[in-house]
Amino acid sequence: MNSTVGLSDILLISPMIALFLTSLIPLTLKVLRGNREQSPIVTLTQGLIGIVIAIALLMVFGGAGKTAFNNGLIFDGVTQWMSVIALFAAGASMIMMYENPATTGKQFSELIFLAMSSAVGMLILVAAVDLLMVFIGLEMMSLALYLMIAMSHEEKLSKEAALKYFVLGSFASAIFLYGVAFIFGSTGGTNILSFMENASELIQTSRLFLFGITFVILGFCFKVSIAPFHAWTPDVYQGAPTPHTAFMATAVKAVSFAAFLRVIATKSLIGSDHLFDILQWLAVITMIVGNTAAILQNNFKRMIAYSSIAHSGYVLVGVITAGVSDNGAFGASGVIFYLLSYSLMTLGAFAIAGMMEKSESHIVNIDDLAGFAKQRPMLALCMTVFLLSLAGIPPTLGFFGKFYMFNAAIGEGLLWLAIWGMLNSVIAVYYYLRPIVVMYMKDGDAEIAARPLNATTVTVVAMALAIVLMGFMSGPLFAAVEKSLL
Amino acid sequence: MILSAIVFLPLLFALIVAVWPNAKTLRHLALGLSVIEFLLSLVILQQFDANSASLQMVEKFMWIERFGIQYFMGIDGISLWLVLLTTFLTPIIILASWTSISEKVKGFHVCMFILQTAMLGTFLAMDAVFFYTFWELSLVPMYFMVGIWGGARRIYATVKFFIFTMAGSVLMLVAIIYMMYLTQEVTGHMSASLLDFYKLKIPFVGGTFFSLQTLLFFAFALAFAIKVPAFPVHTWLPDAHVEAPTPGSVILAGVMLKMGTYGFLRWVIPLFPEASEYWAWLFMLIGTVGIIYGALVAMVQPDVKKLVAYSSVSHMGYILLGLFAFNAYGIGGGLYQMLNHGISTGALFILIGMIYERTHSREISKYGGLAGVLPIFTIFFFIITLSSIAVPMTNGFVGEFMILLGTFKAAPAFAYFAVLGVVLGAVYMLWMFKRVFFGPQGELVKDEHHPLHDLNTREIAVLVPMVIMVFWMGLFPNNFLNYSKASIDFLVNNKNNYNLTIATPGAATTTQAQGGN
Repeated sequence: MNSTVGLSDILLISPMIALFLTSLIPLTLKVLRGNREQSPIVTLTQGLIGIVIAIALLMVFGGAGKTAFNNGLIFDGVTQWMSVIALFAAGASMIMMYENPATTGKQFSELIFLAMSSAVGMLILVAAVDLLMVFIGLEMMSLALYLMIAMSHEEKLSKEAALKYFVLGSFASAIFLYGVAFIFGSTGGTNILSFMENASELIQTSRLFLFGITFVILGFCFKVSIAPFHAWTPDVYQGAPTPHTAFMATAVKAVSFAAFLRVIATKSLIGSDHLFDILQWLAVITMIVGNTAAILQNNFKRMIAYSSIAHSGYVLVGVITAGVSDNGAFGASGVIFYLLSYSLMTLGAFAIAGMMEKSESHIVNIDDLAGFAKQRPMLALCMTVFLLSLAGIPPTLGFFGKFYMFNAAIGEGLLWLAIWGMLNSVIAVYYYLRPIVVMYMKDGDAEIAARPLNATTVTVVAMALAIVLMGFMSGPLFAAVEKSLL
Repeated sequence: MILSAIVFLPLLFALIVAVWPNAKTLRHLALGLSVIEFLLSLVILQQFDANSASLQMVEKFMWIERFGIQYFMGIDGISLWLVLLTTFLTPIIILASWTSISEKVKGFHVCMFILQTAMLGTFLAMDAVFFYTFWELSLVPMYFMVGIWGGARRIYATVKFFIFTMAGSVLMLVAIIYMMYLTQEVTGHMSASLLDFYKLKIPFVGGTFFSLQTLLFFAFALAFAIKVPAFPVHTWLPDAHVEAPTPGSVILAGVMLKMGTYGFLRWVIPLFPEASEYWAWLFMLIGTVGIIYGALVAMVQPDVKKLVAYSSVSHMGYILLGLFAFNAYGIGGGLYQMLNHGISTGALFILIGMIYERTHSREISKYGGLAGVLPIFTIFFFIITLSSIAVPMTNGFVGEFMILLGTFKAAPAFAYFAVLGVVLGAVYMLWMFKRVFFGPQGELVKDEHHPLHDLNTREIAVLVPMVIMVFWMGLFPNNFLNYSKASIDFLVNNKNNYNLTIATPGAATTTQAQGGN
């Protein structure tokens, strides 16, 4: 095996390098200043510059299906799109961290460093086509997150959340790694590209491989909260500071699904009977569990957490579609488009919830939104857009996300999954309407914290506008996604 | 560009209203804008070629190319009057809400204009996904209208309304996507155009539920039946009506329910002709049960608004009956009845709103002897009551007569029962009229602290156009029917092979109408 590293490898991973180097800047400056924090706005700007540079490098050097590091990483359309989603979510969450009471404390430089490190892990994860690379990306992303959640000082819930996330996350990683070991044992390699072609044969002939692939899938199911492996999600989402929750619910989920897609969405694999059946049922159960549990929640973050479980179920339908499809690009672009729309609206909803937190320990319940429309009409309107989009009401982006994904599913003959998904989105309407009801139709004195929250407001309004405008322009956007995957 | 202008101008109006700084002139502005919209819609009427059954004033370009989804609008005799009904009612509703909506006036008018866009778009869209977008969009402003300006149980009612109607339409979306793939099989490229859908020959097997055409038929029919609302999926309607503010009730009864019956006429019957014919008995049964059930339930309502709400269930049952009779009388009567119901029930809700503003009660038993105190109001109410119970020379008579004629021809058994509804309608309306307006004065009417004032000029101005329409449509139905005749004949004659075409602008059009015969 020839293992020299060439310039092209370095260029391809230049976004990750750039992101990592810029993430060190705030930390270094803090040390040089005698462990004194710089002004948070400066730190934030440094971080955002890093993200912009990374996106630019990604656009310049990524794409075109080039591989790096002995086929360990691949830079194709999926990598490009999902990296952009992850970086955007990271940037938006960092803006939220800058203005959230739970995260603007004394360790803001560290926080930004960790968020960006986590993003580096994400970029590795979405590009990885070697199971060990996947593992490295997964761990790098998660370790930074465990720390970020635990760093919130006063809040007991966040400690609990961090511990829960750490224990269960490590458990999932261990299962994943175990699966990788089995796969290595049965095929002599860990590169996905090398064994996916004849995966269906391997499943038939090698029990070791079957175990391995099952464990790998289980590991992913933990990460993207597929029921019944979702139990950590509501607690962690609720306990973590809201900007972190936004980061986890969007970026982590999007990149984990990207890796999931890359690892298992192969016709020879999903096409095998048992796996196909199991995944279908997992998708259905996930939708039902997420949606029915979300109805019962009073806590806003918990509700969105359960709803994000339901969204995982929808996305799994897309992943299955991509797997069984002859034209993999169609199904995969449905998934990417959905994750794009999902990330925008979930970030927006969490951003507004975060703005309403008056102190570190303040938990926003849905009833707290009473009168919000009167106090802050613009933000209430944005929230309405996010929620309607999450519920899939046209002409928002969320509707088209569902439309394209279920369209692909119906095209591949997965009619009953599409029908399940649609019926579930009706259940979802019930709880997505509740915050709107409370905001507009109940009187109260919902206020957002007295601090000026300009950066977050601008981000939120921009995202709401994007959801509506991209809804109208969804055709070219989807075509662009699909084209990049072909 | 006229259709796009008609559909999207209200959206622009919503924006103008939203940024309008002067609260005092807001209502005048909104009224003026809605009148402009109405005048503009008269241009359509003037340009419309009544002899052609083709789609006219078509605007069409690719919207989402990957799936063959188009921005595709067109108008024919089926949608023409529904568009005009919408633009006609909107200024009336805005004028009627002058005093009844006193809070969040700006938000109300924004909702009103967005709703107008959604409704007009639903009637004019000729692409399935484009149509679905408007169809679902209409839920949002209505949801706010009931939820913000409604009565005590408004939140229950509005959530129920939203979820009921949305639950119905998601299966329709699945069916639409499925049919897009069918067009791909047939024509080689995916399309969501209604005209391409019409060309599909979807396999039908009688006697079983599980043939493709039947399944698609029911996926669409359920969505529309809920919107109509047909028995037994009507239960959201009384709640929504009772809790909605007057303008909300008027728009709901006047236009939104018609989206359901229009859906049957535009989508279900021509797209699934065999299934429609095979299952016609079911929908005629549903219609008939709705007629009688709605009337009986209306009869025992102590709340006058609820009474009118249930009478809607009854009236909409007639329309369903007419549509599934599949002949020119039935379908033409159904279409005519959609307009009639929009006018008369809309007017009834406005009248009830007026008296509610004065007394803050809708209980029939608390009234009595209103005729002696409010003579002008009584006259208006009486005229509209006559129209609602379809007395000859009013609009209601023409519609019901045509529907019953059509039903007698197609399925006499249903007609016998449906006629019963005419009698029952007279019973509950006249009985209500007697209790409210005659007899000893009730506690509300006698209340000396709150003397009742008769209608003022504004209120009369609201009602006069509606009364004019009642008699115009009742005395000269051909003025209206002539516009839709070609389209309806074309549909009836080509039911099993409904190849709707696009009119070539400027060409002589009479040939196209005859082409179908």
